[in-house]
Amino acid sequence: MLQLLVAGLTVGSGYALVALGIHIILRATRIVNFAQGEFVVVGGLFALTFVQLFHANAWVALVGATAAGFVLGLVYERLILRPAARQGEIALTIATIGTVFVLLYGHALVPTWGSLPQPLPAFTGDVSDALNVGGVSIQYQSMWVLGLLFAALGVMYLFFERTYYGKAIRAAANNPIGARLVGINITSARAVSVGIAIAVAAFGGAIIGPITLVGGAAGVAIAIKGFVGAVIGGIESPVGCVVGGLLVGVVEKLLQGQFSYGIADPLVYSLLLIGLLVRPQGLFGAAGAVRD
Amino acid sequence: MIARLRADGRVLPVLIILIVAFGIIARSNATYAQAGTYAGIYAVAAIGLSILLGNVNQISLGQAGFFGIGAYAVAFFTTTYSWPFWPAAIVGVIAAAIVGLGLGFIALRFRGHYLAMATLAFGLIAFGIFHEAKIVGGALGINNIPYAQAGPLTISGITAYWFAWLVAIGIALLSLNLLRGRTGYAFEGTRNDELAAEVVGVPTRRYKIFAFAYAGALAGLSGAMYAAFLGLIVPDAVSVPLSIDILLMVVLGGMGGVSGAVIGAALIGFLDIAGHQFENTREVAYGILVIIVVIAIPGGMVGIFRRARPQPLAPMSPELARVANRPRIVVPPSDAPPLAIEGVVKRFGGLLAVDEVSFTLERGTLTSLIGPNGAGKTTLFNAINGIGRLSGGSVRIAGIDVSGWQPHRIAQLGVGRTFQNARLFNDMTVLENVVAGAFRAEASSFTADLFGLPQARRAERAANERARATLARLGLERIAHIYARDLPFGDRRRVEVARARAADPWLLFVDEPAAGLNARERAQLQDDLLRIRDEGVTLLLIEHDMKLVMSISDRVMVLKFGRLIADGTASVVRNDPEVVAAYLGTAG
Repeated sequence: MLQLLVAGLTVGSGYALVALGIHIILRATRIVNFAQGEFVVVGGLFALTFVQLFHANAWVALVGATAAGFVLGLVYERLILRPAARQGEIALTIATIGTVFVLLYGHALVPTWGSLPQPLPAFTGDVSDALNVGGVSIQYQSMWVLGLLFAALGVMYLFFERTYYGKAIRAAANNPIGARLVGINITSARAVSVGIAIAVAAFGGAIIGPITLVGGAAGVAIAIKGFVGAVIGGIESPVGCVVGGLLVGVVEKLLQGQFSYGIADPLVYSLLLIGLLVRPQGLFGAAGAVRD
Repeated sequence: MIARLRADGRVLPVLIILIVAFGIIARSNATYAQAGTYAGIYAVAAIGLSILLGNVNQISLGQAGFFGIGAYAVAFFTTTYSWPFWPAAIVGVIAAAIVGLGLGFIALRFRGHYLAMATLAFGLIAFGIFHEAKIVGGALGINNIPYAQAGPLTISGITAYWFAWLVAIGIALLSLNLLRGRTGYAFEGTRNDELAAEVVGVPTRRYKIFAFAYAGALAGLSGAMYAAFLGLIVPDAVSVPLSIDILLMVVLGGMGGVSGAVIGAALIGFLDIAGHQFENTREVAYGILVIIVVIAIPGGMVGIFRRARPQPLAPMSPELARVANRPRIVVPPSDAPPLAIEGVVKRFGGLLAVDEVSFTLERGTLTSLIGPNGAGKTTLFNAINGIGRLSGGSVRIAGIDVSGWQPHRIAQLGVGRTFQNARLFNDMTVLENVVAGAFRAEASSFTADLFGLPQARRAERAANERARATLARLGLERIAHIYARDLPFGDRRRVEVARARAADPWLLFVDEPAAGLNARERAQLQDDLLRIRDEGVTLLLIEHDMKLVMSISDRVMVLKFGRLIADGTASVVRNDPEVVAAYLGTAG
């Protein structure tokens, strides 16, 4: 039971970061990014490339992958999201789905990436190194994952609440016209938001990669489970997104402990429908805060 | 909308010729025949999604779920119970339609991305069930499904090609019927502006649910044909990638109508054969293609065939022109007062917007409701129209208590409404807007629309004729072919009045029709309103233009902070000290 909880929190950290990325993009641009999970996969592969090509250690790879994710996010916003936004909401949704196709099948075409999942070195020691606490074994990497998740949250909090630029981005998201009137460049604020969201996804891929392997076709499932977390926690609330993501991870592992994987996954997805129907604003959202 | 359907009509015969030509070529080439058959099978599902997406603006990323229901119904009943193909397929289609109704009902709660996610979740859940249910073979699926039989004919090889496309073209023609009739206008109205559609009597929720069921049924039919043709079904064939493939076909070909879906299905079918050895690269190309299409050619392939500008209307026949110029007298259904409200209260949280308002309107009169900004005039209109719930009191229309009714039900009694900001259906022409209104007074069922039965044709003709007559009477014929989004503001208002009038209401609510109009347009508007009153329509008008109000109103009511403070003829109200105070303020 506790063992499943630990495993759940570990995968849940990945979902939490996806949920957070979805939240950031949604808040800035009113877009739900269906490709968010693919960017997690690609982020993990970025880290792999840093390790393979430059023989970087896991920490350098993490920083490199996050930075590469940020740049990729800027490109994504400029080439796909911004032009598609002019054609309306459905066009945008479809464009993000097109991106899923490009990344999902495209990453397999990159020579060193391929279509099969690959291992990524752990941050300290070996992936299987674990701490035993009363019969429950906790991988060191799991602790890193949770610790880094909260470190990332702290950095984001400081950025959005304490820096001028972070506040400007929030203002641009809250009230684009008002923000423009006080001299905020909302186009660049949006671009930076997407950059940050994709950097968060890449960061997630790099920290969870040593445990889950990197690459493969897991992106769609990660995106949806992240979205389930965001909806359950409250997509308008960053704290809600993180809690929701962790919760989904734990529920998933508990269900997998009870049933086969094949049954657990549909049950997790039905949480999405139930959550949307019963409490669309999520656990941490204010009532009536739901927009389209 | 009609321009789009015409484009559909023009493209479809060309497509049929190409399909026949390909069939003749593919006779001796098994690979071609097979790829062509898949294209025909998928075209059916694509038509359903095209209508859902393009005509009703509802996205579904779960069409593979419905496809799976159809496929598994055929697989299960033909193998386990040795049913023939046809009854099994019918069961599958009906089951898919019923599940579609359910998903449509759930979908009412969601918009945009949330809907996309919810339908995606549905697809994943359906996949999970197919994958886990032992009764349908779990992960291994069901094989040895017998070929379908049509009389002595076994549907396989090139026969399957003809069969699949016969079904697809049949579905395309039925869908075109559906779209040109009352249902099509209701879809289009719902897509453009749900509230405006409601007040011309369209039950938008019902039509949305229905669109999901129709798209579900077509995906189910597609799946049923697929299972019988391939001879086996596995869960992986009906998972998320299939939903995305169907979406891809619709987007590439062009959303809305049927031809785009057929083109898209054929295109993907062709690319699938041409690129079958380029696994991964092909999918990446699809992804890039779909991004380019939604950004650069939002109309898809079929959009290229659409004429940019609709043509002006041909002049009316002399007979129709005679009818048009005659006033169209309307009579309320009962002798009860057209509108009687009693103690109506509307609260928003702590704010009391309408406070115990009671009045009764007399038949065939024009009453104006005036008052300072924020007095609660529009809120009162909304309360009467069923937009939002009453906090208290009752509304009786022609003696019927309509408290708690939805707007479309109230509209269907014969009640019209226009909005402060002129809510037209922007993607429709002026004539189509007015036809959408005129359909309120015509009866045609979904089945009649689908099969093009006489009832549907009659309703279509009658609605069109009345719409044209209304436009002629109000002097709007010359702009009938222009898209509503391209109209200047003053014309938008007059078209909205025409749309409301074409529904033959006997009670009409008009919200600030003169705002933003120039002097000439105001004079026209005044004539229009008086003409409508003289035809027997009871009018209630919100207006700030005092000159207009005082010259045309039989009665004037004044609302201030949600309360009625004066009620009487124009001259009485004009001299009421409290009214003067409300407008000009009082000394001290």
